[in-house]
Amino acid sequence: MTDAGFWHGRSGLVVPALLAAFTTYLLVGVLTMEVPEGTDFPGPRFFPLILIALGYLLSVLLVLHYLRHPEPVDTGDQDGGQWRTFTDWRAVAWCVGGFLVFALTIELLGWILAAAVLFWCVARGIGSTRGLFDASLALVVSSAVYLAFAQGLGLNLPAGVLGGF
Amino acid sequence: MESLSLLMEGFAGALTPMNLLWVVVGCLLGTAVGVMPGLGSSMAVALLLPMTFALEPTAAFIMFAGVYFGGLFGDSTMAILMNTPGQASAIASTFEGHRMAKDGRAPQALATAALGAFLGGFSAAVVVVFLAPSLADFASTFGFAEYFALAVFAFVATSSIVGDSVVKGVAALVVGLGIATIGMDPISATERGTLGVPELFDGVSLVTVTVAVLALGEVFHIASRVRRDPKTVAMTAGGRAWLSRAEFREAGPAWARGTAIGLPFGIIPVGGSEVPTFMAYDLERRIDRKRPRPMFGKGAIRGLAAPEAAGNATTGTAMGALLALGLPVSATAAIMLAAFQQYGLQPGPLLFDRAPDLVWSLLASFFVALVVLLIINLPFAQLWAKLLLIPAPYLYGGITMFCGLGVYALSAAQFDLYLLLLIGVVGFVMRRYDVPLAPLMIGIVLGPLAESSLREALLSSDGDYSVLVSSWITWLLYGILAVVLVVTVRAKLRARRGADV
Repeated sequence: MTDAGFWHGRSGLVVPALLAAFTTYLLVGVLTMEVPEGTDFPGPRFFPLILIALGYLLSVLLVLHYLRHPEPVDTGDQDGGQWRTFTDWRAVAWCVGGFLVFALTIELLGWILAAAVLFWCVARGIGSTRGLFDASLALVVSSAVYLAFAQGLGLNLPAGVLGGF
Repeated sequence: MESLSLLMEGFAGALTPMNLLWVVVGCLLGTAVGVMPGLGSSMAVALLLPMTFALEPTAAFIMFAGVYFGGLFGDSTMAILMNTPGQASAIASTFEGHRMAKDGRAPQALATAALGAFLGGFSAAVVVVFLAPSLADFASTFGFAEYFALAVFAFVATSSIVGDSVVKGVAALVVGLGIATIGMDPISATERGTLGVPELFDGVSLVTVTVAVLALGEVFHIASRVRRDPKTVAMTAGGRAWLSRAEFREAGPAWARGTAIGLPFGIIPVGGSEVPTFMAYDLERRIDRKRPRPMFGKGAIRGLAAPEAAGNATTGTAMGALLALGLPVSATAAIMLAAFQQYGLQPGPLLFDRAPDLVWSLLASFFVALVVLLIINLPFAQLWAKLLLIPAPYLYGGITMFCGLGVYALSAAQFDLYLLLLIGVVGFVMRRYDVPLAPLMIGIVLGPLAESSLREALLSSDGDYSVLVSSWITWLLYGILAVVLVVTVRAKLRARRGADV
C-alpha cells in the first residue's frame, strides 16, 4: 500500500458524521417544536432528547474507534490490477444517478419512460455495455410492469407524456 | 384441543384453490429471490411488501408465509452450491455444506438441508399452534411497563448480539428510533422533526424505509463491488437428491438437536436466527470431536443438518412471537409487522380475538408452505441454480425498478422516492462499514410502541421511574436480558481467544 495518508482506512468516519448529522436534525426538530400549553411530563420532547444524547455520545465513540483502529482496506489485486478505492464509485454513481433521474421525471415522463431510464442506468452501472439492446430491453420490462400492475392490478402509475397519445 | 379444531378451520381457509395458488406463488418467488447470490429472504419480503396490497389480507399473509420460508430454502441452496449465503442465518450452513458439495456430494447436502429445514419449520409450526394462544392470553395482562420492558429487551438484544461492534449496533438502533419519532406525536398531537415539510406530517412510511434499507441499499452495495470481487461459480451436481439409510441415521440426531436449539430462540428477540444456527453448529462440532473419527472439516453431514433445522425452527417460532406478542425478532419479522399495520391490524394478544380466521389460516399455511417447499426443493434444487444465468445487470436493473414501483404505487408522491433514495444511500453506507441493519429495522418498527408505553407509564405514575420495574414480569424480562448479555459477552471473549471456524 503506497497510499498511507490520514484518510487511508479512516473513511469509516463517514458513519459517525452521518449519525451526528441525523442527531442534529432531531435536535433542530426538538428546538423548533411547538409544544401545546399544559402538556404533562413526559411530553413530546422527552423521547427525542434521550435519542439526541445517545446519538452524540455514539458519534464520539465511533470517531474514537476509527481514529484508533483504522480499517486497512484491501483494494484487491486478484486480476493483477489494483483499484484506488474499495468502492467502485462509478458504478454506484450510475445507479444513484439513475434513480435520481427516475424520481425527478416520473410524473413528467410517465412510468414507462422513467422506469426504462432507471433500468438502463442500473444495468450500465453493474457492467452491461450493450447500450442499444439494454434500452430496448428496459422499455419492454417497464411496459410489461405497467401493463401488469397499472392495467392489471390497478396500481396508480403515471402515464406521463405517453398518456397524451 | 381447541387449537386443533381452530387449526382445522384454518386449513379449510388456507386450502381454497386461490389461497393455495398464493402459497405456491410465494414459495416460488421466495426461493427464486433466495437463490440469487447476495439476496436473502428479507429482501424478498421487502420487495413483495408493496405488491401484496393489491390482495386481501389473508391471501397476502399466506403468500408472505411462502416467501418467508421459501427465501430460507433458497438461501441455503446457494450457501451449499456457491458458498454465498444470502442471509446471515445461512452462514453456518456453508462450512460443512459447501465442503460436501466440493466432494461431489451436493445432492446429499441439498437433501439434508431441505429435510432439516422442513423438520425444524414443521416442529416450530406445531409449537406455535399449541403455545401461541396461551402466550397471547398471558400477554394480554401486560401493561405499559411490561411492553416497554419487552421493547427494551428487543432493542438491547438485537443491537448488541448481532454484529461485531455494539457501538455500531446501537447507532443503527438510534437512527431507527429517531426516524420513528418523525411526524405527528400521537399522545400530544405535536408535530415533530418535520421541518414544516407537509409530506412528513404522517411520519416516514415503514415501507419506504424497508425497501430503501433492505433492497435499494443492497443494489448499491452490489454495484460497488460487482467488478471487484472474484466471481463465484456454482458447483454442479448430478444425480437425485436423496439420502442413504446410513446418512439418515447420521443426520437424524443432528436434526433433532438443531430443532431443539432453534425452537426457544424464536421467542427471544436476538435479531434473527444466526445465533441459534451457530450454536447448533458449535454443538455438533463438540460432539464430533469426541467421536473416534471426527468428520468435521471433511464435509460432515451433521454440521449441515443441525444449523438448517435450527434456523427454520427459530424462524417458525419467531412468527408465533410476532402474532402473539406483536414482537418482531428479526428484520424479516419486522417487515411482516409492517404489513399487518398497513392493513390496520395490530399483531399481539388481541389479534387472536379480532381476526382469528386470518391468524389460523396463516398458521395453517405454514404447514402447507413447508410441504410445498419440500416438493419444489428436494427434486429440483438443481434447477434453481439455473436462475443464476440471468445476467446481473438486468437482474439488478429489474430489482431497482421494483423498488421504485412499490414505493411510488403506495404513496403516488415523488417526495417518497427522494426519501427512498436518501435512505437507500444510508443503507449502502451502513453495509459498506458493517453497521448491522436489523437494529435499524427493529427500532423503526418498535419505536412508537416503546415511546408511547414509556410515556404512558410515566404519565400514570406522575413521573416516578420505579413504575418501570414494578411487576414481576418486568423483573423477569430484565433478568433474562441480563443473562443473555452475560452469555454473549462470554462467548465473544472466548471467540476472540480461539477462533477456528
